[in-house]
Amino acid sequence: LTFEEAQRELEQIVQRLESGEAPLDEALKLWERGEELHRFCKERLDAAEGKIEELAGRARTAKP
Amino acid sequence: VKVEAIDYGDRKVYSVGAFNRGVALWLSRLPTVWVEGEVTELRRQARWASVFFTLKDPHDGSCLGVSMPRGQFDGLRLELADGDRVHVYGRPELFSARGEFRLRALSLERFGLGEHLAALERLKRKLADEGLFAAERKRPLPLLPERIGLVTGNDAAAKRDVLTAITTRFPPANVLVAETYVQGPRAAGAVVEALRALCREGVDVVVVARGGGSFEDLLPFSEERLVRAISDCPVPVVSAVGHEQDTPLCDLAADVRASTPSVAGRLVVPDLAQLLERLDRSRSGLERGARRSLERERHRLERTHERLGRAPRLLVERNRARLEQFAGRLRALSPRATLERGYAIVRSGEEIVRSGRAVETGERIDVELAEGGFGARVEKTR
Repeated sequence: LTFEEAQRELEQIVQRLESGEAPLDEALKLWERGEELHRFCKERLDAAEGKIEELAGRARTAKP
Repeated sequence: VKVEAIDYGDRKVYSVGAFNRGVALWLSRLPTVWVEGEVTELRRQARWASVFFTLKDPHDGSCLGVSMPRGQFDGLRLELADGDRVHVYGRPELFSARGEFRLRALSLERFGLGEHLAALERLKRKLADEGLFAAERKRPLPLLPERIGLVTGNDAAAKRDVLTAITTRFPPANVLVAETYVQGPRAAGAVVEALRALCREGVDVVVVARGGGSFEDLLPFSEERLVRAISDCPVPVVSAVGHEQDTPLCDLAADVRASTPSVAGRLVVPDLAQLLERLDRSRSGLERGARRSLERERHRLERTHERLGRAPRLLVERNRARLEQFAGRLRALSPRATLERGYAIVRSGEEIVRSGRAVETGERIDVELAEGGFGARVEKTR
């Protein structure tokens, strides 16, 4: 699963929930799935930020 | 004519006359050619059959005696003066009586500045017609040349100017210098050879630099073979020959024309400091861009997340509200609620009494109220 795929699915879930068409049981399942996707996306963003900091730090020390 | 030697034992010896005749015979087999030079020491006398002058090479001072039949010379009405540039058509000859070598002129043309310019103009037109100067032939200079070739005179200020300009802008530049003649009759060939040598060594751009000079000093840079060599050069050529107002043909054939050697130097290398600064800017832009896109994604995820929790909660609330509503209606339908409003249930035995005709006077009945109840006896039916 890529970040974009997870994000797309998460947004589809939110749209489905906001439409109010989902029965309660389904809504709860969707919510659970949504939270899972949110956690996944957040982890990816945290990892990306870590990478940015690492690269920025490396570039600063490499500067003449 | 036969040239006979006298044998002294095993030594062959020629008389002076025979030797001169022999050399003259050999010289007479050489072809008739055009020779260019300046007229000096013109000697003409009415009683002489020929006119004599010395042709001098203005570049290196080489001299050549020339003779021309007087009638022919006079017929040309050239009124030559010392220093006039001429083209002489003739063949080499040895004047046997004096052992003097000279050029026997068959024809003579003045070749001054005007003629030079006209010849140059003809050549320019011819090469232009061939497309040698066409704009679409011009190649871009490499942004960061690995090795730069420089064709220049050996102690020329031009060389110093180009090198200074290059190393000021781009200190780590790698320049391969080919020193050569940049003036005189050997210059064109030497420059062509230097160009080829540099290309063989492997350079990715060539600068041809020569400082200012007289019109004639710069003439080699308009010679056809040099102009062709520049246009045929496998790598781009920057020409910086003469001053701004001079336009030798090599300038037209070059990929880029520089007004001075310093300008040429600045053209072939990038400004290192500027390059590093730009690189640095790009790098920080890169970092900024990455951070910005990260922030954007974070924001989007946060908003989506907020919406995610809100919708099901709302749904639960809505369901709860609906449930409450139904519970209320359910409660309203239960008999207890009716009793609360002051109604009573009357029973006769196990049967609920719904009509006065269902009981008889004096019969025992049970009355149930919202709270408790009591037994009773029917007094009268209606």
